[in-house]
Amino acid sequence: MTAVQAALSGALIGGLYALMAAGLSVTWGTLRVINLAHFGLILVGAYLSYQLTSAWGIDPMLTLLVSAPALFVVGAALQWAYERFNIVEFNSLLVSFGLLMIIIEVSTQVWTADFRHIDAAANPYGTSALHLGPVALPVSRLVALGFALLLIGGGHLVLERTFAGRGLRAFAQDRTVAASFGIDHRRLGLVVGGLAGVSAAVAGMVFALGNTIAPAHAYEWFGTVFAVVILGGIGNLLGSLFAGLGVGAFSAVVAVLWDPSYEPFVLFLAIILALVLRPQGLFTRRGAVA
Amino acid sequence: MSVYKGLGGLVSVSLVLAVLAHFNTSLGVAPYLLVLATSVLFWVIQATSWNILSGYAGYFSFGQAAYVGVGAYAVAVLTGRHGVSYPVSIIVGGLLGALLALITGAIAFRLGSLRGEIFALLTLAVPFILAAFVRINRDIDGGLGTTLPLPSFPDWIGDFQHLIFLLMLAVATLAVGTALAVQGSRLGRGLSAIHDNEDAAEVLGVPTFRYKMIAIVLSGALGGLGGALLAVRNGAVQPELVFTLTVPLFVIVMAVLGGRRHWAGPVVGAAFVTVLQDELAAQKLDQWGNIILGAVLVVFVVAAPDGLFGRLRTRPWITVGVFVPVLAGLVLSGQYTELDALLYAMVAAIVVAVVYDRLRPVTAPRRTTPLRPAPAGAEPAIRTAPPPLSAPQPDSGRDLVAVAGLIRDFGGVRAVDDVSLSVSPGEIVGLVGPNGSGKTTLVNLLSGALAPSAGTIAIDGRATVGLAPHKVAHTGVARTYQIPKPFASMTVLDNVAMAVMFGRTGASLPQARLAAADHLATVRLGHLADQLPAALNLHQRQLLEMARAIAAEPVVLLLDEALAGLNPAEIDDAVAVIRRIHEGGISIIIVEHLLRVLNQLATRIVVLDRGVLIADGEPATVLNDPAVVRAYLGRQRA
Repeated sequence: MTAVQAALSGALIGGLYALMAAGLSVTWGTLRVINLAHFGLILVGAYLSYQLTSAWGIDPMLTLLVSAPALFVVGAALQWAYERFNIVEFNSLLVSFGLLMIIIEVSTQVWTADFRHIDAAANPYGTSALHLGPVALPVSRLVALGFALLLIGGGHLVLERTFAGRGLRAFAQDRTVAASFGIDHRRLGLVVGGLAGVSAAVAGMVFALGNTIAPAHAYEWFGTVFAVVILGGIGNLLGSLFAGLGVGAFSAVVAVLWDPSYEPFVLFLAIILALVLRPQGLFTRRGAVA
Repeated sequence: MSVYKGLGGLVSVSLVLAVLAHFNTSLGVAPYLLVLATSVLFWVIQATSWNILSGYAGYFSFGQAAYVGVGAYAVAVLTGRHGVSYPVSIIVGGLLGALLALITGAIAFRLGSLRGEIFALLTLAVPFILAAFVRINRDIDGGLGTTLPLPSFPDWIGDFQHLIFLLMLAVATLAVGTALAVQGSRLGRGLSAIHDNEDAAEVLGVPTFRYKMIAIVLSGALGGLGGALLAVRNGAVQPELVFTLTVPLFVIVMAVLGGRRHWAGPVVGAAFVTVLQDELAAQKLDQWGNIILGAVLVVFVVAAPDGLFGRLRTRPWITVGVFVPVLAGLVLSGQYTELDALLYAMVAAIVVAVVYDRLRPVTAPRRTTPLRPAPAGAEPAIRTAPPPLSAPQPDSGRDLVAVAGLIRDFGGVRAVDDVSLSVSPGEIVGLVGPNGSGKTTLVNLLSGALAPSAGTIAIDGRATVGLAPHKVAHTGVARTYQIPKPFASMTVLDNVAMAVMFGRTGASLPQARLAAADHLATVRLGHLADQLPAALNLHQRQLLEMARAIAAEPVVLLLDEALAGLNPAEIDDAVAVIRRIHEGGISIIIVEHLLRVLNQLATRIVVLDRGVLIADGEPATVLNDPAVVRAYLGRQRA
């Protein structure tokens, strides 16, 4: 029973991983920008939610009204800069590593290195849980899963069904050909970068609901989130959702049945195995990655 | 510069430094400078260790902290907890670093579809795993980190500070010496080719997997030794302090700032960054350290990707011309310590080196050597042309290429379906077929880039199925790519010399350059020998591909659409070159769409349609075969 409980609540945390991974995966897959600064945006999103909730005493979810547009602008501006200086792939990894350092250090100076958490009085989701028979599901994690379904499902529909989405996928496959068919990748890129920023705002807010925040968290997310991106297939939104849920459930079960400290081990071994056996990602259709 | 001269210079510099440090008090050098110099040396070791794989071969690692940590823990556990002597535990630290690198490389480089980004992310995970391992196994460090006893050492060395300086200096000399020796060696050329284009390197005979493994193991051993010395210096080891992301951040910034393609780059970068950090700490501005480093990384990747040392080499005077006067002025003004003056002068030189290109009016692209005008018409006689072998006549007695029952499936698609084919010495076989008929797949199977699903291939009597592409190359197969893949960082001459060096017979670089000049003359590119590939047009790049391929001294040459995208005059030119190559005694399989060209060039034509071989024979017969006309032309008109 503990394993079932662990798997379920782990899968719910997986929603948070998927939220964090979605923005990273899309910019990597479609724009070829591996944006490590995305972790910085998530951190800033979490701090913004904390700050606004503490200052105005509003519902944490309402802070998205401020943080989502703000991070949309930041995300779009980042993408503009990457595009302007033609920073893709390897170089984007380096440049965004530098940017991440800057964001983390600035956050440390603004909010200090101490742990911060949203005041329990202002946070109706923090400690409550939904009881389904013997299984208890923390509300903050249900929120994570809800947002993940909403954002990733929506993003997936946009990519699959709309003209802009098709344009982006065409662009991911072959930039030159897509451009010659009239796809304005610059404008699309700005929108995608901005939406990745919005996903960072949501992920940060969700993280702040159930956790304490410290600048060092940005590093701790690295391993799991990249695992989700790679396992899900780079650029594959639904893949990152499933991979997020899977990774969450898997590590929670390992933590309960074995020992929490074995979690990173088992997880990374799983990733390496997955890379050896299915390098294109677990959930990628054949031929979908160029 | 010869490697021995370089190593001699390096050892001399180290000895001078050692003597200076030994007499630091009598020379009036402040003790804190010795401490700072020890730090600089530690980072020289780490940045150099990182650069041997990540700079030379271009496989970026975010895992440098893993080597530091393993080395430090070897000392902490063996000496700190089990009383093993320091020399043993330090060496074990280096060995464990090498072992860790061996494991990482064996896993990462075996991944068939490994891309540089994935490698970077995998290495990012390694320190996290190790840190978790230490936290789980509390008995490794007793839970709260380990403290180390003070080492005992002979009196003549001086105090502990002198000892640790000397140790760091020794390992740093070893590290920089290794990097220097690697850079000048076959290994270094091979790593450089891997950096520029790994597929092309492998096809030319570079054992890419082995070279990457050697590089990563050297990197791990040096990183581990450095980490072990860090533990000795600090006297204590904690997981948070050694497995930190600061280590990869520092080494990456140092190497990017200094320059990644030359051994001196990381040294320059390490010196600057360490002194800068020290200065910031002295000014109580430590918290700005990572912000500045992050900004430096961003600016350099965008504005000066070749790094400071690269700038210094291409435009030495402007950099030195800023550095020296600023340093002299600041020192003479008497208001700054030497260290401050050095730092500010370096900052000024760096700013100018980076900004100079932006301010300069845009002129023609930079060239490493002045452009030699192309002699009109005549090709330069660099040396005697390769001796023409007896004019090859098709000889059906022996099969140079023997393919039987070859099948290759991609998922559910059968790209090559039960193809059997043989090529005799002296033939030029034209391989034709509609788009998607499996021509390029067949070329990839022959060159070993793809493994067949079934069937056999023998080159000159040797079975090649299952061999790595560089081994296949050594049986006598060379190929060109439809889209040329030159090594961008090497001159045209060195591109060809690479193929000679790693070809069937092998040669040293100077010999290889002589031979390469001959091959360039064969394709009439002699006048462009000193250019970088970026200065060549498509036709010239395709000729370069051919020169590189024949430089490997193949028995059979695979030309994959070597005429695509050329204008009629260029096609005639290329056809003449192909004929000349053929006259040199090399059999050719050429994939081509232009039937007019094949009609006059090929001795035989083979037609593929949807992976199946549907015709094989004299050009005139095959091209009039109704089945071929239907498959090839009929579809296009339909």
